[in-house]
Amino acid sequence: MLDTLLLLALNGLIWGLIIALIALGLSIIFGLLDIINIAHGDFFMVGTVLAWFTLNLTGNFWVAFLIVPLIGFILGALVQRIVIQPIRNVAALSIVATFGLSLILQEVVRITFGATPRRILPPIQDTVVLFGINYDVYRIFAAFVALVALAGFFLFLHRTKLGTWMRAVRHDRDTAIAMGVPAQHVYIFTFGIGFALAALGGVVAAPITTVEFRTGVDILPFCFMAVIIGGLGNLPGTAAAAVLLAVLEGIIQSFADPTVARISSLVLMSAVLLLRPQGLFKGLAK
Amino acid sequence: MARKFSRRSFLHNALAGGAAAGTANLTIMRDLYAQSSGPIVIGHHCELTGVFASWGYWHDKSAKVAVDLINKQGGIAGRKVELATEDTESNPATGARKLRNLIQRSNAEFIIGSVHSGIMLSSLPIATELKTIYFSTGESSDVTGSKGTRYSFRTGADTYSIAASGVPWAYENLGKKWTMLFADYAWGQSTAAESKTIVEKLGGKVLASIPVPLDTKDFVPYLAQIPADTEVLLPAFIGPLAVAFYTQARSMGFDKKNIKMFSQSPSIEAISPDDIEGAAEGSYFFETFPRMLKAKDDEFHREHNKMVEVDDIHARETTSKRVMDKSHSWQCWEDLFAIKKAVETSGYKARKDVEGVIQALEGMEMKNSIGHPQGDKLIRKEDHSGIIDCYISRVENGQLVVKKKIPKEELVKFMPVRFNLSTMPA
Repeated sequence: MLDTLLLLALNGLIWGLIIALIALGLSIIFGLLDIINIAHGDFFMVGTVLAWFTLNLTGNFWVAFLIVPLIGFILGALVQRIVIQPIRNVAALSIVATFGLSLILQEVVRITFGATPRRILPPIQDTVVLFGINYDVYRIFAAFVALVALAGFFLFLHRTKLGTWMRAVRHDRDTAIAMGVPAQHVYIFTFGIGFALAALGGVVAAPITTVEFRTGVDILPFCFMAVIIGGLGNLPGTAAAAVLLAVLEGIIQSFADPTVARISSLVLMSAVLLLRPQGLFKGLAK
Repeated sequence: MARKFSRRSFLHNALAGGAAAGTANLTIMRDLYAQSSGPIVIGHHCELTGVFASWGYWHDKSAKVAVDLINKQGGIAGRKVELATEDTESNPATGARKLRNLIQRSNAEFIIGSVHSGIMLSSLPIATELKTIYFSTGESSDVTGSKGTRYSFRTGADTYSIAASGVPWAYENLGKKWTMLFADYAWGQSTAAESKTIVEKLGGKVLASIPVPLDTKDFVPYLAQIPADTEVLLPAFIGPLAVAFYTQARSMGFDKKNIKMFSQSPSIEAISPDDIEGAAEGSYFFETFPRMLKAKDDEFHREHNKMVEVDDIHARETTSKRVMDKSHSWQCWEDLFAIKKAVETSGYKARKDVEGVIQALEGMEMKNSIGHPQGDKLIRKEDHSGIIDCYISRVENGQLVVKKKIPKEELVKFMPVRFNLSTMPA
């Protein structure tokens, strides 16, 4: 019993780090642009599909870690310019626009990649015995990649000029523009980063889960829960909430039905909305 | 401000309402008696998009090819067949709405139904209300069981018949201690429950029944709950969930444990074992129409494969990389021929004659032929279920190799009649 609890808590931590990568993209897009991005799960899905194509074209999965976020960034910048920019001042329209974008992305992938789910072999195929269970070594590697990417992103945000611009525009757009910050470029860059993070999450998760055109649909609610519990637009809070939720669900799953675990997450989210609408990790926001 | 009715406005509204109701009634009466010489419209309630899209492609193709074949043979009772297809979007609410469209707008007189158990169950009450025969392709046993009606039929297998034919063989050959790991919705629950009943009837033990939510990406929490002394694991998942399960079970070394995996055809439908990089290697699968021609090598199977353009080993489309959901899509083909036979036998002319078609279908036997390439079969009179030959296959070197054919006579031994739909009113 204790072994199962510890294993599932650890697994929750590892899975939570991967989710944090995706949820972070959702949070920066909301924090800076006030866009509720319904298509964010599909950005993740595009990442898994691009990883599959990269592997099939080059025969090397590792290349995907470099190429796919780059393609994701370019796609994100294009989406911002074509879809988001025209409706930037009408936040409510963002839901409709990104929902449409979600359908377009799914159908484009269905037409080009097909509707059949595919599998990517993990580049590391060893297992290690953890708490009496053979645990996939690739998952530990995936969590490490997610951790490095998260740390890299926060370093970028706090130690570079562009990161400072992003924070400045988020804090006070008009003053930032008055100070010479090119806000429009920052918007494009931010959306690109959001897409790139989700796409990187897709590459990391592809060998664990499946590659198919609807794989982003199921992951989106969990990401939204992380964003809400962490505090809307609160980036460190979002990452912390994703890990907290996954660990919490893991622990509950060790002694109760998985549905009870998901209900617990929803109850936590509702409690946060009622009692701390600014999010659990308000103090982490910078 | 409240609007008051004067005598004049009341009469005006009453006359208008009466005229509208009269027109609607005339429309219904027209549908009941009309079309006795025009084309006969058959509705196809099909998953062209959504989670079952990879299956829906084949259902659509099979039905269209079969309709062409029927029309070349002279149609149904001399009437040309027109196929009206509606996309259910793999969504029960949409599916229910689209069924009304098929029957009330497209004037479909018979329906080849959905493969999604949730859609099937939400649609059957509508088909019954509109007195329209609904052939189910999905496998939840409820639709020809506790929730069945006089209008629900199937030519293929359901979770009851699958358990009755597959589980006894697996019990004898794979092990006596079972664990059920299933997708937590109608089909998965039905598969686990029906299989559990047969395992326990045979004297075996079900150590655990573990439901898995449909939005699951990570299987570790569920795989960790599988009891160590499990001999047979019955995973009941479809499409991406199935691929995720096999991938993660293999990553966790389940292929090296002494646990045999016994799955149903939906878990590998529209997927070639090659496409999932050996994740399902060594697993057993129940099939109703073997993917490999050599397991049922006859002229009708060969001709069927040729007409739907699939190869004889993987059931892969010769013009693309798509893999056919062969244990399900044959029903979309054969249901049309079953309707043809029942309409011609009963002398059906228009909707008012539907009861005659129901009576013709109840207990109808179909012979191995181009109309029924899956093989000889019977629609059992009492529960409207397909009684068919079934197969147990194993994934070996990326191919589904048949290990055992279970004749329909053997199937019925474990499948007593539980519900009598034939005594229900039409």
